[in-house]
Amino acid sequence: MRNGVKLEEALRDLDSTTRREFLKKAAAVGITAAAAQAVLLKEPTVVTAGPSPKRGGTIRILSHQEVASLSPDDIGPTMQWNIITQIHNALVEVNDNFVVERVLASNVQAAKDGSSYTFNLRKGVKFQDGTEFTADDVKYTFEFHMNPDNATVMGVQFKAVDKVETPDKYTVVVKMKEPNAAFLRLGATTFIVPARYHGRIGEKAYKAAPVGTGAFRLREWRPAEFTVVEAFDQHFRGRPNVDFVRQDVVPDPSVRAIALRTGTADSSLWPLLSEDNLRFEADPGYTTFRTSSLAVNHFPLNNEHPILSDKRVRQAMLHAIDRQRQIDDVFRGTASVAHSIFPPALQYWYEKGVKQYPYSVDRARALMEEAGWRMGPGGVRVKDGQRCTFTCAVITGDRARRPQAEIAQQELAAVGIDMRIVERPVATILSQLPRGELDASLFNWTYNGGGGEPDPSATLRVGAARNFSRFKNQRVEELLPAGLREVDPAKRKRIYSEVQKIVAEEVPFLYIMYWDWFVIINKRIKGLPTSTQSGSTIIRDAYKWWIE
Amino acid sequence: MLRYLASRLMQGAIVILLVSVGTFSMMHLIPGDPVDLMVGEAQITQEQLDLIRKKWGFDRPIHEQYLAWIGNMARGDFGQSVVRTGVPVRVMIGEAAVVTAKLNLLAFFISIALALPFGIAAAVRRYSGFDYAVMVSSTLGLALPNFWIGLMLIVLFSLLLGWLPPFGLPSWKGYVLPVAVIVANQTALLARMMRASTIEGIGEDYVRTARAKGLAEGVVVSRHVVRNALLPVITVIGYRIAFLLSGTIVIENVFALPGLGQLFIESVNRVDYQVVQAIVLLLSVLVVLGNLITDLVYGYVDPRIRIG
Repeated sequence: MRNGVKLEEALRDLDSTTRREFLKKAAAVGITAAAAQAVLLKEPTVVTAGPSPKRGGTIRILSHQEVASLSPDDIGPTMQWNIITQIHNALVEVNDNFVVERVLASNVQAAKDGSSYTFNLRKGVKFQDGTEFTADDVKYTFEFHMNPDNATVMGVQFKAVDKVETPDKYTVVVKMKEPNAAFLRLGATTFIVPARYHGRIGEKAYKAAPVGTGAFRLREWRPAEFTVVEAFDQHFRGRPNVDFVRQDVVPDPSVRAIALRTGTADSSLWPLLSEDNLRFEADPGYTTFRTSSLAVNHFPLNNEHPILSDKRVRQAMLHAIDRQRQIDDVFRGTASVAHSIFPPALQYWYEKGVKQYPYSVDRARALMEEAGWRMGPGGVRVKDGQRCTFTCAVITGDRARRPQAEIAQQELAAVGIDMRIVERPVATILSQLPRGELDASLFNWTYNGGGGEPDPSATLRVGAARNFSRFKNQRVEELLPAGLREVDPAKRKRIYSEVQKIVAEEVPFLYIMYWDWFVIINKRIKGLPTSTQSGSTIIRDAYKWWIE
Repeated sequence: MLRYLASRLMQGAIVILLVSVGTFSMMHLIPGDPVDLMVGEAQITQEQLDLIRKKWGFDRPIHEQYLAWIGNMARGDFGQSVVRTGVPVRVMIGEAAVVTAKLNLLAFFISIALALPFGIAAAVRRYSGFDYAVMVSSTLGLALPNFWIGLMLIVLFSLLLGWLPPFGLPSWKGYVLPVAVIVANQTALLARMMRASTIEGIGEDYVRTARAKGLAEGVVVSRHVVRNALLPVITVIGYRIAFLLSGTIVIENVFALPGLGQLFIESVNRVDYQVVQAIVLLLSVLVVLGNLITDLVYGYVDPRIRIG
């Protein structure tokens, strides 16, 4: 706590750019943690507009799929998140350096033992329907998600919440059933809806007619075509500089690149083809941000499969695959080799000292021999009369990753492992993998809590909905609940370091690479961050932009 | 005639019912459901997933789900999308169908207007320079993939010349390129058919007789050759009616048009049951009606096939 006070004093005197750099460093040394009253800023980092921001104009963004809903409960898909976040705010939000910032809350206090959180609310904040934002709205929103009858997606984040109290109009106290270190980042970042309005029209109607406290309000929504939001004059951080943000649905990546090139659009929310990304990066007419994605590109493997259940086989496979070659050949170098389930971008949590698997055919062969697999007919290894073969289901029509699977197939064949490739719809893969009905697959998935929160419970615990590899490790079963109960960042760090080491030893799935996430923005857009760790928050901050 | 119509409509109804059962079972036989996709990478527990499934009734037995759905359909309630929940499926399909229908009808009429005269003229002046030109360009129109022609047109007219928008329908200009791609493809097909069947007609005995009677060549061609040569072309046109709402998935994807094809593909990918089922049902109705209309038009064009 004392630490926090010092930080705030230090921050007050810094100009915005230095402050940003400072925050980055703060994040790096781990003040990103959940019991983070220590590093909450007095004011959100508004890097407003240097000399003379201009008023007016429309920012045009391209997405690849439709915006199917505008409700905060449907923020999963990126194209929806990007609009919903313009319209709504949360008590705290995670900024582009994974630091928790106060937004609707003017102050946050976490009990030392993690048993409660007290939020003081900003006064005079208006919803877009003109009503005032108060503690009732927070209570309503949180309780809406806590009610199992509503079966919301966000409900998970409120499992540990016991009750929400409102001692006065501008104070909210969240009492926890048990400490949950992820609550601040994953629960308190839930977007607040106006209690009376949402209560009146219901969640279903709200999906089409949202009202938040955000910098932009909904103007026109044509889900499959475009969505337009307009500046909200009474927004508490001040009216945004631009008049409109428009997001068009353009499925084809080449067409998105052409639209950027012709100036029809200012940015693309969803990546272009690698070659186009690199071309724009080299072009001075565009500002390019290149960050690491939080999701790892990986081959999940069924750990209960008779062949894949042997750790040595899985380790051999990781040795047999030349991951740098896949990056260079398939993705033109726009990715980095994965060594852990956390990307290096999660600086504080990332554990460098894990077991590594450099490309080595010899070591792969040795491990297979050690596991008892001898070379058999047709260059495929055999053990107890069983051939070393399994099937990898890639996503139907996945042109980006299919070549990757084919390269891996050749590399595995070189050490005597026969991997067959089939195609399956993504819904099938997501539902069959965790049930152990597929041997393996290939896609990208986030093995952390998102938003700078490390907890990988949803993907690594036994019976977890997204445990695609049916990974089962007694120590991890103990560590993960302990990590959530632990509110001291330094102690948490030790827990997640151990988890990363165990995963690197066990290789439950073949973690290949972290894709570079490109955000390309036309040079006419000003007010952009000088540096960033997280690609997804750049366009969220469109309220800071202006058009030159 | 009325009895014929009634029996054809009966048959059609049975076909549509079978299609509904087929689509429903196929959609539900695919392992996985929309909930997994809807949730995406959000942190989620199995318990919460089960709650969401229950909310949508996916935990109920399949036959119950089917009866509920077909019952709603019969009452004109197309149901609800799991993904775009805030909007009824009827509205989703209505909006998308308008875009696709506009695009296709426009292209349809333009291509008929171009293909028939070109095909006939090429046949009448067989082996002339004009004939070769029609044949070569129609071969190209059929052989080049739609998405490639589309992308090349965008590169030329949006990127290089800057005359037309690269995507979407901001104004009438948005229709130019997609319609051109469809026209290129359909004109090629129809012109080739028209040419072939006209050539066949020209060699018939009744044409020689007509000429022998001393009829002017123009009259021979228009009254005797073309009228008979139209039959196979009408078959194809009737068949195309069924595709008016579905045949342009690739075009819609390239030009980012919010049409029915795009909606269909997206809905299949995310296993959005009610939307896929409703679209397939709608299309099967169109196919049945398209076939019926084709048969009736046959009777008009060729009295030999007329039904009593």
